Amino acid sequence: MERLHSIFVAPFADMVAAPDFFLQVVWEGLVSGVLYALIALGFVLIFKSSRIFNFAQGIMVVFAALTLVGLHERGVPALLAVPLTLVVMFFLAVAIERVVLRPLVNQPDIILFMATIGVTLFLIGLGETIFGGENKVMITSELGIPTGSWIMEPFGGFVSIEQKDVTAVVGAVLLVIALLVFLNKSKMGRAIRALGDDHQAALSVGISLSTIWVIVWFISGIIALATGIVWGARAGVSFALEVIALKALPVLMLGGLESVTGAIVGGLAIGVLEKVFEIYWGQPLLGGNTEAWFAYVLALLVLLVRPQGLFGEKIIERV
Amino acid sequence: MKMKHVTALAAGILAAGIAAPAFAQEVLKLPNMSYRTGPFAATGTPHMNGQLDYMTMLNERDGGIGGVRIAFEECETGYNTEKGVECYEKLKSEGALVTQPWSTGITLQVLPRTNVDEIPMFAPGYGFSAMQDGKTFKWAFNPPTSYWDGASMIMQAVADGNLDSLDGKKIAFLHLDHPYGKEPLPLLEAMAGTHGFELLPIPVGLTEMQNQSAQWLQIRRERPDFVIMWGWGAMNAGAITEAVKTRYPMEQFVSVWWGAHEPDLKLVGEQAKGYRALSWNFVDSESKLMQDVKTHVVDAGKSQLNQGAGEFDTTAYQRGILMSVILAEAVEAAQTEAGTPMINQEQLRKGLESVNLDEARLAELGAEEMMAPFAMSCSNHTGHASAWMIEWDGTKFVKVSDLMTADRAVIDPLVEKASADYAAANQPWQMNDDCAE
Repeated sequence: MERLHSIFVAPFADMVAAPDFFLQVVWEGLVSGVLYALIALGFVLIFKSSRIFNFAQGIMVVFAALTLVGLHERGVPALLAVPLTLVVMFFLAVAIERVVLRPLVNQPDIILFMATIGVTLFLIGLGETIFGGENKVMITSELGIPTGSWIMEPFGGFVSIEQKDVTAVVGAVLLVIALLVFLNKSKMGRAIRALGDDHQAALSVGISLSTIWVIVWFISGIIALATGIVWGARAGVSFALEVIALKALPVLMLGGLESVTGAIVGGLAIGVLEKVFEIYWGQPLLGGNTEAWFAYVLALLVLLVRPQGLFGEKIIERV
Repeated sequence: MKMKHVTALAAGILAAGIAAPAFAQEVLKLPNMSYRTGPFAATGTPHMNGQLDYMTMLNERDGGIGGVRIAFEECETGYNTEKGVECYEKLKSEGALVTQPWSTGITLQVLPRTNVDEIPMFAPGYGFSAMQDGKTFKWAFNPPTSYWDGASMIMQAVADGNLDSLDGKKIAFLHLDHPYGKEPLPLLEAMAGTHGFELLPIPVGLTEMQNQSAQWLQIRRERPDFVIMWGWGAMNAGAITEAVKTRYPMEQFVSVWWGAHEPDLKLVGEQAKGYRALSWNFVDSESKLMQDVKTHVVDAGKSQLNQGAGEFDTTAYQRGILMSVILAEAVEAAQTEAGTPMINQEQLRKGLESVNLDEARLAELGAEEMMAPFAMSCSNHTGHASAWMIEWDGTKFVKVSDLMTADRAVIDPLVEKASADYAAANQPWQMNDDCAE
């Protein structure tokens, strides 16, 4: 009976007893969710246009953030370092297309996936050779990102909101809107979607595979830079950021590999639910650290009902 | 003519083949299982640079140890236990005199093999605390002080020397969810039972190292009197950043020695003022030891350290130097005892048991301000060096305590039990029956 009480009653009683704390938990979950969604977006974009599961997305986040900080350390002003980093990410996209993807056109998906593992290992080595392995401070204030916090006092308690987290959320929302407009309204965006729907048909109407791949990898590079700035502002820039990409996997399973909406909804849902579960059930009942597995269990449950994810496309193959 | 050339070539190859093993023997193979890549590289790299630079310095200044050059090869593990085991096997096959696993997880994985392979395992400042028992762990060494020693000293520090004052208090134990992070738990649980404080273990997973909001929300809710951190890699920087964000009082936040890492503190600078860490070493860049390293290695362009980032003056880099000092002392002791500069694994094991870094020897090395004296023996494979509590003043660490010592009355019975349990679980386990102490 006591066990049932601790599962079904006590957590909700805690939420009601300290609503300010509950709000803080939900806010922290939302911020994490936005960050997961950003990483997942990078995966979705590349998968949508080329059916490649880009294992290198995590290291691209690290590489972009390190390039930005590294350029600034070498005396480049912060606001100039951002476009220069984008130039680097563009040339990286061109190099990946020329050296890795183009020779592997028409190869099975698994070969292309393995190639992105190769890209990951190369970028780890290149990044460490150029920038070293130590933690670096993100140039948050130099980029004009506010670093203070707002303290609100609802329900007689307090909720602390970091201004850089608010900036991250606003930035992510703007990025997603821009991405959706680009994909749905621009000619190039429609070409990307066409390529994702049917390679052969898209090629037959003159859409250039190479150009699209470069653009898609470059956009993923932009998303990687935004993600790197936001994560780096929270806990510094190091190669540890790479493991955060693992968090995008359950988001993709939940939301669907091809869906921008799925990445966003999946990211936010996992961010909030894993935080609430950890605080109210995980820590009191299971010893904590449930965030390591909760998202995967949630994604598995969704897959049992919808194997293509919440927003993924149901593929029917004729034999 | 052609035949003559072929014969000469064959003779050359044969001669090289015969000579090669003989030549290969003329170095002291003291490899390191390093991790300069991955999420733990930020804290691993400066330690490994320090270890490497001291050995390079001995090669450059003294021509090695006892006139034999040191081969300090690195095998990259990425702090991954599976890769660590692969490295162990590789280094073993190459005739390593010692293995340095550089992770408690890898240490625990290869520990059972040490008795079979008969290669000393050197785990300075980490590993399984019960390895102090040299009668049980004949081939494993964890000087100068163990995690249980460290936990005991930290508890004394937070209790201001009176452990009974912790009665009724709540102490959060924020740790990496990894064998290393869990290592001090048996001691802390025993102390909680004896002294009446509530222990609140808070694990941090690998993917949560940089996003510890859930852990720090728990700390905000539970309001512990102290937070003791057992972190590594990106976890420490993440925790310090979250502590600042949560406004947790820094003077109640204490770490084991791995948390004394200046670059992590510089992320928040002044806001981390008052943060403390227990450390068995202290920075002394002007010491003779460090100046020798600077002259023969750093200034000579033979170091991999990041000079621009001030790595030379960090606690981690200088701790790495001291780790190699201990190993080099063991090699020298082994050479003296064996009467030959070319030693084998068994001789190095005895050398490790003979390490005696007393005040005089530390002064001779020029490291008297950098660490406390200690000695190992047949039965004592840790040495139990004392340590300082150091505090972040906003820009650097300063000493805020005299040398502290661990409470042997609490630790030794736990070690005895853990050793006996380990030997029973790993039968047939070879005890060191020659160890009479």
